[in-house]
Amino acid sequence: MGRKLLLEKAHVENIRLYDVYRREGGYRSVEKALKTMAPDAVTEEVKKSGLRGRGGAGFPAGMKWSFLAKPEGVPRYLVVNADESEPGTFKDRYLMEFLPHLLIEGMIVSSYALGSNNSYIYIRGEYAWIVDILEKAITEAKQNGWLGKNILGSGFDCDIHVQRGAGAYICGEETALIESLEGKRGNPRIKPPFPAVKGVWGCPTVVNNVETIAAVVPIINEGGDEYAKIGVGKSTGTKLISACGNINKPGVYEIDMTISVEDFIYSDEWCGGIANGKKLKACIPGGSSVPILPANLLLKTAKGETRYMNYESLSDGGFASGSMMGSGGFIVLDEDQCIVRNTYSLARFYRHESCGQCSPCREGTGWMEKILWRLENGEGKMSDIDLLWDIQRKIEGNTICPLGDAAAWPVAAAIRHFRDEFEWHVNHAQEAQVRNFGLGHYADEIHIPVST
Amino acid sequence: MAEFNRLVARYPEGKQKSALLPALHLAQDTFGGWLSSETMDYVASLLHIEPIEVYEVATFYSMYNLKPVGKYLFEVCHTGPCMLNGSDNIIDYIKEKLGIKVGETTADGMFTLKTVECLGACGYAPMMQMGKTYREHLTKEKVDAIIAECRNNAVVKN
Repeated sequence: MGRKLLLEKAHVENIRLYDVYRREGGYRSVEKALKTMAPDAVTEEVKKSGLRGRGGAGFPAGMKWSFLAKPEGVPRYLVVNADESEPGTFKDRYLMEFLPHLLIEGMIVSSYALGSNNSYIYIRGEYAWIVDILEKAITEAKQNGWLGKNILGSGFDCDIHVQRGAGAYICGEETALIESLEGKRGNPRIKPPFPAVKGVWGCPTVVNNVETIAAVVPIINEGGDEYAKIGVGKSTGTKLISACGNINKPGVYEIDMTISVEDFIYSDEWCGGIANGKKLKACIPGGSSVPILPANLLLKTAKGETRYMNYESLSDGGFASGSMMGSGGFIVLDEDQCIVRNTYSLARFYRHESCGQCSPCREGTGWMEKILWRLENGEGKMSDIDLLWDIQRKIEGNTICPLGDAAAWPVAAAIRHFRDEFEWHVNHAQEAQVRNFGLGHYADEIHIPVST
Repeated sequence: MAEFNRLVARYPEGKQKSALLPALHLAQDTFGGWLSSETMDYVASLLHIEPIEVYEVATFYSMYNLKPVGKYLFEVCHTGPCMLNGSDNIIDYIKEKLGIKVGETTADGMFTLKTVECLGACGYAPMMQMGKTYREHLTKEKVDAIIAECRNNAVVKN
């Protein structure tokens, strides 16, 4: 059983309330940072910790902070990205719903490091009840002197505001989020300039995921070096994984990134095995945008080594035979699931969420959805599979923001690993309407390394 | 109006347009669950921005209803993880039970059914949003109970 840094107190009764949270050791990191550390020293600890952005891209958080421009007389902003919308991901919701003060605490320390006197939480509009939870926590923190003017006599002022989005996946992309925070459509901006130089209202801005900011609390409490000792390689600390799909125990788990994928799926400590005694067919290990893997490549790498739940191991083999840690949205598919149907559902999602700025994404996502619908409904042609491949290739890398890639990768991986299931849908169009392809050979051991 | 002023106060001076998304939520809640052109124009005048700046935002985000909806809005998720757990069956059941198609409102104006993309409740699938709350781990029985609950509440309130 690994160490828990974020969810350790999640099950303490009434931990959502300030008094309980404080009694359990909450807000110690604010005391430590504001009373004994200079802002740059806080950033230094975050750098030492090796913490990688938990939103999906995995960029080192301390480095992102050190890029923040600090021109004289210009306000700087910390914006927390709570727009959690990547299918399969529901970890930030859990954190905010049950441990709102952990996020507020992390935000105060981070705001101090960055010099942000007004920090914002941009939360997806559908999490309406969590807005109330967060606002209550902010009020409690303010009443107890953790927010407002001259916090703990340090001379540092900070207020936190919550802004609700209104239903747009694209607003999880940091520049779209900034546009949305400014009261506009969520159209991503062309970079550079990066938000660190020109972000919200033209001012230097850091946008970080909820889990990233929450992790700052244990990093400051225990020190960056101690935090970096947990985990393995460049996968330091703990990671929240939201597990869903056809498993016995869906939910949010905090892991220390040293466990194997097989243990994560089958151990009762985590997913508890595949639901209804069925077999594992495939898995999307890091949110819907990352490549889907068949059971055999999920549990072992193409070299036949055990695959682990961390950044490096999940991406071992590149896109040819690996996937990504992404946001930690772990979606499991059992033997009765249809890959074509699943891919269609995700393609529809990306078509719906494309902001429409770049034509490859705006048009391409719609074309992919239509072709996948044809294949799924028995009207597909063999050439459709190659057409799909061609379209996704032309979207990837040709858009302003990563939504294009995010829409292309699931389709590419599905064809790469499950091509025979797509072909079966064409060759057995009638049969495919009444039954699914089934497990096929997707769980068979692989003897020959997959070529690229 | 007090709530509106509280929203605007969160942003730096001169950046009141930033309050547009929250202001539209407030307007939708206040004026019958949807945004008419009159409502949008009113929001524009309050924020001192052009009406077009409001329209372009209102049409971009999926949570703003641009036509009237029923008293109770069922927004059922049908993206990947929910689909794996039978969301299509739940949608079919609601359609049958209420006698409407996706996007329609019942004749008595009580219920509107919509399908939506991922709401971040994948571990608790299938699910739907109803007003400010999520209804999770849906089954046919739960759908029956929710519909009965809505009908009951409507009677009590009237």
